[in-house]
Amino acid sequence: MMARRALVTAAVVLTILSLASTALAQTDCTKLVPPSPWGPNDQTGATNRVTPAVTKAAAAEIQTGKITTMSYPLTDGVPLFGTRFTKTILTAVSLAPGASFGENELTYMEDTWLSQSHVGTHLDGMGHIGRKDCYYNQTPMGKFINQNNMTKLGLEHLKSFATRGVFIDAVRVFQQGGKFKGNSACKKPCLDKGTVITSADIQAGLRMYNVTLREGDIVIIHTGWGDLFEQFPAQNAVYNSGAPGIGKDAANWLVSQKVVAVGTDTWVVEVIPGENPKEAFIVHNILLTDNGIHILENVRTDLMAAEAASSRRATFFFNMTVPKAVGLTGNFVAIDAIQ
Amino acid sequence: MMSPTPAGPRGRRRRYVHRPRPAIVVALLLVVVVLAAGLAAPVSGQRRWVVAFANVTEEPGVTLEGTGFTGPEIRESFTLAARPYPMDLVFYDNHRDDTRAVANAEDAIARKVDLYVQYHRGPDANAAVGEKLKAARIPVLAVNYPVPGAPLYTIDNVAAGRVAGEALAAFATRTWPGQPMVAVVIGRVSAAADRVPERVRGATEALRDRLPAARVTALDTQGNPAQVAPLLGAFLSAHPSRKVLIAATDDSTTLAAKAAVESAGRVRDAAIVGHGVDRTIHGGMNDKKEIDPTNRNSIVIGSVAFYLDRLGYEVLPLAVRMLRGEPVPSRIVTAHKLITAANVFIEYPPYDMN
Repeated sequence: MMARRALVTAAVVLTILSLASTALAQTDCTKLVPPSPWGPNDQTGATNRVTPAVTKAAAAEIQTGKITTMSYPLTDGVPLFGTRFTKTILTAVSLAPGASFGENELTYMEDTWLSQSHVGTHLDGMGHIGRKDCYYNQTPMGKFINQNNMTKLGLEHLKSFATRGVFIDAVRVFQQGGKFKGNSACKKPCLDKGTVITSADIQAGLRMYNVTLREGDIVIIHTGWGDLFEQFPAQNAVYNSGAPGIGKDAANWLVSQKVVAVGTDTWVVEVIPGENPKEAFIVHNILLTDNGIHILENVRTDLMAAEAASSRRATFFFNMTVPKAVGLTGNFVAIDAIQ
Repeated sequence: MMSPTPAGPRGRRRRYVHRPRPAIVVALLLVVVVLAAGLAAPVSGQRRWVVAFANVTEEPGVTLEGTGFTGPEIRESFTLAARPYPMDLVFYDNHRDDTRAVANAEDAIARKVDLYVQYHRGPDANAAVGEKLKAARIPVLAVNYPVPGAPLYTIDNVAAGRVAGEALAAFATRTWPGQPMVAVVIGRVSAAADRVPERVRGATEALRDRLPAARVTALDTQGNPAQVAPLLGAFLSAHPSRKVLIAATDDSTTLAAKAAVESAGRVRDAAIVGHGVDRTIHGGMNDKKEIDPTNRNSIVIGSVAFYLDRLGYEVLPLAVRMLRGEPVPSRIVTAHKLITAANVFIEYPPYDMN
């Protein structure tokens, strides 16, 4: 009896100690990340703004039916961030003599795709970026991960991206503003790495095509830097060495406009090197962690820049689907601009 | 101010007549003058400052201040740091040459720059540059070497050395209490032009203050990292049963010292702290880095940051204060800090992903 009581007591003490140490190890996420405007259980973020009314209004952008692709080819050898990799392996065994099926001699092929999710033209989900262990909507992510995926904030919680796309030609904004500084590695005009795109630049880009942002829009910015992506693998090192992009002021302004996502033709959307050398990818924190606004990277923008310049239209129906990939932090996507 | 006229006796419609009052006119004029002055000021974005930066040298491969940093890195830091300001930079290369330094200042005067940042070693040239710019009423901000009458932003070699010495002493006290130990300061210890002896003095003083029993020896490589192995190897052989604290005067010496300790089979007996924190030791995201969160067991405890790759971020805010007519201290020094595996990603967040 005594031994049993001692065991129970020890178990209680151990439980209390372990709970206490766990509590001490966790960050108070209410102090690091703001709450979601869509409530404490929200895992969806800014796609909450894509309401039926928003989608219906966006559908009015389809006037000629012309489609402009905004995705780069997803293939081995394109620039990849850090140690990321992608590799495809083709399975074609049924092409071997005698391996076809039935009298109709059916053959088949399929692929094994070994790839990290944030490659090529891709979407950053809410589980991608946090402050310490705190993610979107004050989520203490340490409690919601296992060996394979997240159990909260995965892509499966996102709503549709069927909304209006708004195109900003930052290259032309900088050219017309007399402050364009390019990079000699680009074959077409591109803003140099480290070029900060401000809220004033974005607003100048909107005025250029007489556009006013609406709640629920997706903003795509053409910097020209994607020209280096197109030259893969020759300019991969230059492409990854930095990028033109939005600064904190522009990010905060876009937040105030209640957009759904922001994309550019760079690997990072934000300016690199950043405005403060001691801050790391701070725009990612502002958009994703604090506001649930998605980031779209390596978006192909040169075709749309040409289209907007010739048609004088910088708005379009944003056609992009994201797989319901459970517990993933992001995924490659295909984007079409339909006008 | 508009004031309504009363309706006439026959019920005519009211007419609004402008009746200016002298006091109001004066007030309005004042407002216009103030607004105009504000618009003319650079902070409004209507006028951009032109700031000249005369770099000590931009010769490829030449390292500065006894560290691994180069002139082009410093120039780049000014370019990046200027981005938030309404400012255009004019760059000069002083080529470590007095005549060129004076000629650069004369060119800047002809361009009528708003402020001149001078980074040059020669005191005579700095005095001449200071006089010429003063006569032209162009404010000067000196970097690392004084210009008479100008505020000075400078690295502090003695303080940096003290940080290194104290880090080594703290490690030794914590890890090897009561064990016999010696200390060595190794590198370009006699490079007076780069003020490395001040670094040596700071490290030596801190080690002697904190570890009075440990003898401190200086080993001069004269800037040749290949000399580290023979000098340090002999030193280690001469002290086979002692723990060895090594203050290296720069990062390349730090890496060479680590290799020498490994070759001598004395990894368990040594700890190293360097100076500089250039890219050879912290690198990019995918570089093999000595100071890295995943390399916490290295015998290189850390390196004392000189932040020369961020010089522009330190200097240009001072320049802006001067341009706004605000006071700045006569001497501002770098806040040197020990960079270790525990804080390197905080201080130097990796962003280039090659």
